[in-house]
Amino acid sequence: MTATATPAVKATTATAVARRPRTQLWPALGMIAPAALGFLVFYLYPTLRGAYLSLTEYNVLGSPVFVGLRNYVDMAQDEVFWNAIRVTLLYVVLNIGFQTVLAVGLAVLMHRLTKSVLIRGSLLLPYLIANVVVALLWYWMLDYNIGIVNAVIDAVGLPKVAFFGDEAWTVATIAGVNTWRHLGYTALLVFAGLQMIPASIYEAAAVDGAGEWRTFWRITLPLLRPVLVLVLVITVTGAFQVFDTVAVTTAGGPGNASRVLQLYIYEQAFARGHFGYASAMSVVLFLILAGAAFAQMRLLRAGESDLS
Amino acid sequence: MRTRITWGRVLAWVVLWFFVLATVLPFYWMLRTALSDNHALAAQSFSLLPADLTFGPFERVLGLATPEEAMAEGGSGASLSFWLYLRNSLVVATAVTVGQVLFSSMAAYAFSRLTWPGRDVWFGVFLGALLVPPIFTALPNFLTIKSLGLLNTLPGIMLPSLFMTPFAIFFMRQFFLGIPKEIDEAAMIDGAQPWRIFFRIILPISAAPVTTLGILTFINTWNDYFWPLLVGQTEESKVLTVALGVFRSQTPQGAPDWAGLMAASLVAALPIVILYAVFGRRVINSIGFSGIK
Amino acid sequence: MKRKMLAGAAALASLSLAACAGGSGGAEAEGQIDYWLWDSNQQPAYQQCADAFHEANPDLTVKITQRGWDDYWSALTTAFSSGTGPDVFTDHVSKYPEFVANGQLLALDEHIADVDLDQYSPGLADLWVAQDGKRYGLPKDWDTVAIFYNQEMVADAGLSDKDMQDLAWNPDDGGTYEETIARLTVDANGVRGDEPGFDKENVAVYGLGIPGAGYENGQTEWSMYTATTGWTHTDENPWGTHYNYDDPRFQDTIAWWYSLIEKGYAPPLETTIGASVNDNFGAGKSAINISGDWMLSTYFGYDGVDVGLAPTPTGPNGQRASMFNGLADSVWAGTDNPEGAAKWVAFLGSTDCQDLVGAAGVVFPAITSSAELATKAFAEKGIDVSPFTTHVEDGTTFLFPVTDHASDVHAIMTPAMDEVLGGKADVGSLTEANDQVNALFD
Repeated sequence: MTATATPAVKATTATAVARRPRTQLWPALGMIAPAALGFLVFYLYPTLRGAYLSLTEYNVLGSPVFVGLRNYVDMAQDEVFWNAIRVTLLYVVLNIGFQTVLAVGLAVLMHRLTKSVLIRGSLLLPYLIANVVVALLWYWMLDYNIGIVNAVIDAVGLPKVAFFGDEAWTVATIAGVNTWRHLGYTALLVFAGLQMIPASIYEAAAVDGAGEWRTFWRITLPLLRPVLVLVLVITVTGAFQVFDTVAVTTAGGPGNASRVLQLYIYEQAFARGHFGYASAMSVVLFLILAGAAFAQMRLLRAGESDLS
Repeated sequence: MRTRITWGRVLAWVVLWFFVLATVLPFYWMLRTALSDNHALAAQSFSLLPADLTFGPFERVLGLATPEEAMAEGGSGASLSFWLYLRNSLVVATAVTVGQVLFSSMAAYAFSRLTWPGRDVWFGVFLGALLVPPIFTALPNFLTIKSLGLLNTLPGIMLPSLFMTPFAIFFMRQFFLGIPKEIDEAAMIDGAQPWRIFFRIILPISAAPVTTLGILTFINTWNDYFWPLLVGQTEESKVLTVALGVFRSQTPQGAPDWAGLMAASLVAALPIVILYAVFGRRVINSIGFSGIK
Repeated sequence: MKRKMLAGAAALASLSLAACAGGSGGAEAEGQIDYWLWDSNQQPAYQQCADAFHEANPDLTVKITQRGWDDYWSALTTAFSSGTGPDVFTDHVSKYPEFVANGQLLALDEHIADVDLDQYSPGLADLWVAQDGKRYGLPKDWDTVAIFYNQEMVADAGLSDKDMQDLAWNPDDGGTYEETIARLTVDANGVRGDEPGFDKENVAVYGLGIPGAGYENGQTEWSMYTATTGWTHTDENPWGTHYNYDDPRFQDTIAWWYSLIEKGYAPPLETTIGASVNDNFGAGKSAINISGDWMLSTYFGYDGVDVGLAPTPTGPNGQRASMFNGLADSVWAGTDNPEGAAKWVAFLGSTDCQDLVGAAGVVFPAITSSAELATKAFAEKGIDVSPFTTHVEDGTTFLFPVTDHASDVHAIMTPAMDEVLGGKADVGSLTEANDQVNALFD
């Protein structure tokens, strides 16, 4: 179906020129009107307002005072900000890494082993629970002293792990918790992609005597690439905006080890009353996200030809 | 050859079941904690069974326990109007789901199957909204809701996500792009107007992705925490996720009411689980639409 | 008076009055008063106050909203910024200076002229007078800290409850306080911390549980030690403009405190992030915790743990010390009913309400006589709270530091203290953090 998507657009456009009225501007405007209203009022306007506020000193309670680029200059010298960028990147790499690898593995397992809806259904369960609750549940289970996970680790004779408290573990732990919540969902996306790969290709591979392992690397993965890139676009953007999980567990600690950018922005804006500075950091986060999305879109375009 | 595959298959099944268990076991721990006496939890933290089995946490959540009873089991003295919060959550999630899916589908239709100048540019602009950090827009949107006089009302909670999300438009557009052109071409030639084609032809054949998007939207709205926390502060406008906050720490250094929190989380997830049980097969089978195209 | 005669008409009118509360603009206060607090354990007691208040002032109804500590301040800030703040709210000394600086609080002086400020425990009322000389809060309660210990563990260690009541501490060798902590520490093989062969890598019960690194104030972490060395957080209090985290007395104390972790007598910082310090106590993972009186019901609630209380140790100056913190009720400047709000604050600060709160036995009311009711209520539950009250009686309290820029100071000191207690940085690094903090006041 991926293969047909792009040609379909082109075909529609081509015939439209020939047979349809030149433009369907008015109906189109009518149809996007409600969405456009939502976009203008709740996305565009606050974004522009935030961009302006990034040039001000504004503590939310008073009124904004224009300070030019000072917030950006301060940011360049703010060690905590640069640390937040590093921590966020580390989180994105770990979370996306775990999640994508495991999701592909799971999807392939399901695809090759079972069509059981029960298994797929249970894998999706964590997605039904709110982020904040998932975070607290794991905070409780992974506690060093009274958590069940460390009790099990201890029982089998391994050294206990301070999952949230040890600087070496904390970001990986948070990435793991979010992976737990999203794994089933991501795996189902990949699974859907797998189902589009024609069975005949696998049959041909089996006739050639290719083993499961070889089939995976030579056939499944390359054909899955467009789907994977799309999954990545969605998950990477989300991962950069990690907030809830950190806010209700470590609150950025120990030290600054898990102070991700969005949390630092939140603290500056709502706890420390530096809304202008927080806005400036949001602008930078926006630019980072745009850059990441742009890079991925290029990959996506590169991936589109794979199936043909 | 045959044995090698069998060995691999056994291993594969083991791995798969490992993941299923890793996914499901924490839910058992939630239930086990939710049936415990909060005072006993710390001392019996490694017991696989509920610590001093009690239905108290569920009674606290449903507002059936008096403050004295709640505090006797380590709960909080705050009163809960569970059914009111449940109603609020249902109203908000339903309205947002209907509005967002309908309006986003309409926009997606215009962005995919209608021809008009600037279409792709505007689509790109809409999609750019995906990159705006929610923290960034929270305060301005809060002020907007305030100037509309909708603070602490359910419409105030709904409004920002009622009309669209970039993801919803993207999702539906991807599906519409894949519908063969012949399907609406004929109607077009017969002189049918886009509105009619959308509601009579396109929407009906898109039942599967619409259901999927609807359920995803419902889940996300139901589980949203940060925005309703800002906008719905009164009893009358509190949704379930915000009400759960009562079980988190009340004082600096105070421990959460773990049992109550877990019970509340389970109860709050129940409507979603029911929804999921009803539409589950359909969702599981069609959840990939956003990824396929 | 007139209103009473027109009761029937007033009842009808009250609906519309409530709808445009404050719109009447008359001298008489009426309508609904929104009141916020964070501690749900106290909500039932304050609901009693609200009912009593309504009885005394039938025109006024108080509506209590409880929001947990985690969300309280950001919710308050957004509510203020949007003009929807509560009329009256429970306020903290570390937070109110910034609200005053931004014009969010109503000066109470003229509204509470007849309130006798001497009825409150000494010092509490002064905390709430800002630099402009005006009063922004009326004291509602106070807290001090004390030692919570596991009686069974103390007995097993061959110590008596009496031994626990008179511990002495110094920053050089830790004194009898450290000896006791060492004695109460037990490793996985049952060897005590003061015995040969103690395995500090494999500790089953820590002598001293710690809640964390203590942020900028160390209320329940280190302030009861530092204060006995003569050190103070700031140059003056309230309204200091210079912090003293570079002082050797402070840094030596922190170095000693950290040495407990190195010796295996206290848990490594990384293991304290997670379930709260009190839950670990409840699970039998620590023998001694230092905490505030607001945690009494939590500690005494744990199943299977017999809790004892003892006053904090005496220090180099020969005295005990406890931070003395007081909450107050403040009125938001944007209230549409300043008269009614001030009336409610005055009621909250009166014996009428504080006696009710005291009798509930959850916290010590600011009014001395009401606090005695609390002591009695705790005694009825079998809890002797004298380790907390002794500080007030002996005058060994010192006030919670009140300065400007509190949230920035908090944000700078939190990671800095984490680094030191986590063993990632030397106590000397606090000097640099102190420079950053003091730069805020330039």
